[in-house]
Amino acid sequence: MKRITATAAGLVIGIIASLALQATIGRTAPRPQSYGPPIGPVMSTDTGASELLLVVVGGIYPTRADAEAANDQMPFGDLAGYYVVPVAQFQGFKEQVGTPGDFALVSVFRTELGAQEFVTFAQSLGYPATILPDRVRSLGGPYAGLGQEADPNGFGPLTHPIPESLP
Amino acid sequence: MGNKAGIFPRRRRRRAFPLIAVLSVVPLLLGWHWAKAGWRDWHYNYPATPYGYSQIINRFGQPCNANASAVWMTWIASNNGYPYTFRFHRKLGGYPTQMVTGKGGASTNLDNDVYGHIQNNHLYGYTKSGIWGYLCRYIGGTTKWSTHAFGIAIDISASYEPQGRCYSTVNKYFAYVFKNHGWRWGLDFCDPMHFQYAFGY
Repeated sequence: MKRITATAAGLVIGIIASLALQATIGRTAPRPQSYGPPIGPVMSTDTGASELLLVVVGGIYPTRADAEAANDQMPFGDLAGYYVVPVAQFQGFKEQVGTPGDFALVSVFRTELGAQEFVTFAQSLGYPATILPDRVRSLGGPYAGLGQEADPNGFGPLTHPIPESLP
Repeated sequence: MGNKAGIFPRRRRRRAFPLIAVLSVVPLLLGWHWAKAGWRDWHYNYPATPYGYSQIINRFGQPCNANASAVWMTWIASNNGYPYTFRFHRKLGGYPTQMVTGKGGASTNLDNDVYGHIQNNHLYGYTKSGIWGYLCRYIGGTTKWSTHAFGIAIDISASYEPQGRCYSTVNKYFAYVFKNHGWRWGLDFCDPMHFQYAFGY
């Protein structure tokens, strides 16, 4: 009789303990993942030095601080938008826009399709976006967004010069 | 016993008329509702949701490849009526169904099943302005490819759900539809406008 009582008590305690354990685990919400950079390759910052590039302009400002402040007002969600660069890093830029300032919000491309896709995207968000009529020569300098367009061969991003971008 | 006619007494039969009418009409209404636009939930040929960069590449190809932007659809924002046309990967939609004309896609995931659920569950009113899909761009402030560059991400209600906010105001009402179809909601990493067909990236 004692053995039966002890077995029953053991079973009851075991069941209660396992239920308590399951309830604790079940009620513990999973810890949200912290927001951080994804695991993937870091692409090189292609400046296209000496190439003739298409420039999409989002604005021109007298100082870097003004340009940075304007850029902060144009979020593109989680995506890269405009880049703040000195206009002097593109030969032929000032000739096309005059001299309204020394810093610009730009994103540069090798193909017209790439530039046009970015213009469409920026304008759908209500942001200014204009493609300069003539290509400008890159003199190097800070990264301005090159490499973010599809290769016409259809297999991936365009990471090399094309005939239209070669001087 | 005298006023009994058939199975029910006449008085009861009179009372039963509205019930019978409702029971007859409800199936018809439901049928009409679910057949709206001829929509059916197909769940046809979904690719397995990839985990991590390598699986994304293996399953969907390089960023910005031609398949990443092969299929398009138009999604009208409920708050401003603007028709947002965006592109996405051919493995995530474009298969011909009752609702979608054939667009050369391989599955029914996004444009038929997810979108159909949102329409038929009357959740369309929560999809607000700022909608886009494929874009050959890096993640802001980095030179790492965004899931948008593979055509496996869509941002919805960008004007209501800014990136960096760890709660949701409108997308929370239909996020379950995406989750039930293999998508991950960006609220996990404080980007409530973002839905992506990938984990671990």
